[in-house]
Amino acid sequence: MTRLSTGWKRAAAVALASVSMFSVTAASALEITVWCWDPNFNGATMKEAAERYAALHPDVTVNIVDFAKADLETKLQAQLASGTTDGLPDIVLIEDYGAQKYLQSFPGAFEPLNDKVDYSGFAPYKVELATVNGQTYSLPFDSGVTGYFYRSDLLAEAGFDAAALENITWDKLIEIGKAVKEKTGGTLLPIDPNDAGWLRIMMQSAGSWYFNPDGSVHIADNPVLKASIETYQRLLAAGISKPVAGWTEYTGSFTSGDTLSTFTGVWMTGTIKANADQSGKWAIAPLPALDGVEGATNASNLGGSSWYVLSSSAEKAEAVDFLAEIWGKDVDFYQKILVNQGALGSLLAAREGEAYKASDEFFGGAPVWQNFSDWLSAIPAVNYGIFTNEADAAVVAQIPNITSGGNIDEIIAAIDSQVRQQVQ
Amino acid sequence: MSNPLALLGRVATYALLIIAAFVSVFPFLWMLIGATNYSADIIKGKVTPGTALLQNISVFFNSVDMPRILFNSFFIAGVGTALTLLISSLAGYGFEMFRSKFREKVFGGLLLMLSIPFAALMIPLFIMMANFKMINTYQAIILPTVASIFIIFYFRQATKAFPHELRDAARIDGLKEWQIFLYVYMPVMRSTYAAATIIVFMANWNNYLWPLIVLQTNEMKTLTLVVAGLTSAYTPDFGVVMVGAIFATLPTLVIFFLLQRRFVEGMLGAVK
Repeated sequence: MTRLSTGWKRAAAVALASVSMFSVTAASALEITVWCWDPNFNGATMKEAAERYAALHPDVTVNIVDFAKADLETKLQAQLASGTTDGLPDIVLIEDYGAQKYLQSFPGAFEPLNDKVDYSGFAPYKVELATVNGQTYSLPFDSGVTGYFYRSDLLAEAGFDAAALENITWDKLIEIGKAVKEKTGGTLLPIDPNDAGWLRIMMQSAGSWYFNPDGSVHIADNPVLKASIETYQRLLAAGISKPVAGWTEYTGSFTSGDTLSTFTGVWMTGTIKANADQSGKWAIAPLPALDGVEGATNASNLGGSSWYVLSSSAEKAEAVDFLAEIWGKDVDFYQKILVNQGALGSLLAAREGEAYKASDEFFGGAPVWQNFSDWLSAIPAVNYGIFTNEADAAVVAQIPNITSGGNIDEIIAAIDSQVRQQVQ
Repeated sequence: MSNPLALLGRVATYALLIIAAFVSVFPFLWMLIGATNYSADIIKGKVTPGTALLQNISVFFNSVDMPRILFNSFFIAGVGTALTLLISSLAGYGFEMFRSKFREKVFGGLLLMLSIPFAALMIPLFIMMANFKMINTYQAIILPTVASIFIIFYFRQATKAFPHELRDAARIDGLKEWQIFLYVYMPVMRSTYAAATIIVFMANWNNYLWPLIVLQTNEMKTLTLVVAGLTSAYTPDFGVVMVGAIFATLPTLVIFFLLQRRFVEGMLGAVK
């Protein structure tokens, strides 16, 4: 028994010693802590930015901490709600759809950057989504500017070249899909019945959203939303799509040649280019526009995120300066992250750089980044509001009815009432 | 076996059991096979072993500071388990062995607290830890778990089978109360401790939400947090994720197999 108890004592001593050794967390005077969620994407771009800033300011180090995206949101939400600022980072990455929720739910928690950053140089929709009462809080990062990605080789077999897909409408795309099906038997689009991304893309392409600019619900009387759901029903009824379950099956569908195209955000480029054997067989056209809708464009957005400085930050001045100097101005930096991470930033001046001007043999030698950059500046600004996720869930709940060809007015009424219940 | 109906029933039973076994084992099999494949193959649904195991392992070890992360996980789970067993078993023992007017009321109150979800306690607990200046420390994760109501309840139930005569005999022999607990009760209840070790170690090892909230830096993260981080990338490397998942599963498996026999005894409430 004595052997046991000395063993215990030793274990306890070791335990205590290591606790005190590792619980020292005080940061050095000029350390900027950043939270983000993908070490290979936004984490890697932040690392590149940090190295550039350190070259100019050797006294500043940037400490990048990555969490799973949902985890980061849980953490940020819990810590902001607790009202204690201990442990909050200096800079945090927030997905654009959730920006208004954080900015409006926690007033004063984030630092407005209007004095330090020239927002006229950024894509207007990215600035708008992080603005509350005339103050803009974000340093806009990656864009989800949309495009229509298609297998140029297989569509050419059916007689459709790039010109035939330039600035078309959805109804035109449906015609093309039918013609392709008839001539080659190929299926044009994969559709995931549990994802409402298509609706977000269609709505924003015509400058509309689930919410009005003042934040009030805009669903039951929203002509763009109605036109989007009608378009989607026509798309499904045309028999040119194939249902897929989940993300991996969705991406697997068009990279394996099972389906011929998809419409999605620019960030899909990397996934498509990972299939080196398909080089030269892909092309990217502008997103189709909605038919007969006021304000319809061929540009939209899916996803994207931005950097925010916490007001509680001890290194606030350095954090803001870091974002403004590198992320706000450095055109060369944006070339680097475009090449290395495939990250399309929101700084419009970046298009003047080498990498943005380069053409891509994978996409038939087209200047894809110049194109995306053109579309980026044309994306209509909308107010994502506080409840985009809730509205999305209400739409997904109605997708079975939409898919089975249900009455659109009833479907919209159901979405509207579910959203209104949650918004109250 | 002569009765064809009985034979049929037997076949049906085995078929059902084989299906159930397959359903519960398949995820593990998938994890092991996935670790040997490239991410692109896993997405395409490949179920045969591949050749990418070494590459996945090297990517995993290059992107994760494994010695440090493993230390964090083992330290938190190990110290947490030892303290939980000591404190909660002492409480369970006390509740059963010592009579008091308030005993049942206090115990009932404790059981009621089991029904409060952790999400409701999370933010007050975080504020408390921030006031103690314990954010981003091991203590912040270990301390809230050491008084586990479930383990107190479990030990109280098990203690009902502990013969009071043993305690009385020990008292007559001149042992003090703490000596009775340490030298008589603990050895006698070793099966119960073994079963509780598995339960508490697994709970600590897999603890997710609270470490996520309270840990702030890469050096402090536990293995479960790291593996979750790997899956959330825009283009996750599933082969690497599977390697991480194997490392996250292994310790609980090892502990379970080491203590398996005692675990079963402990669950049956055996006193030897």
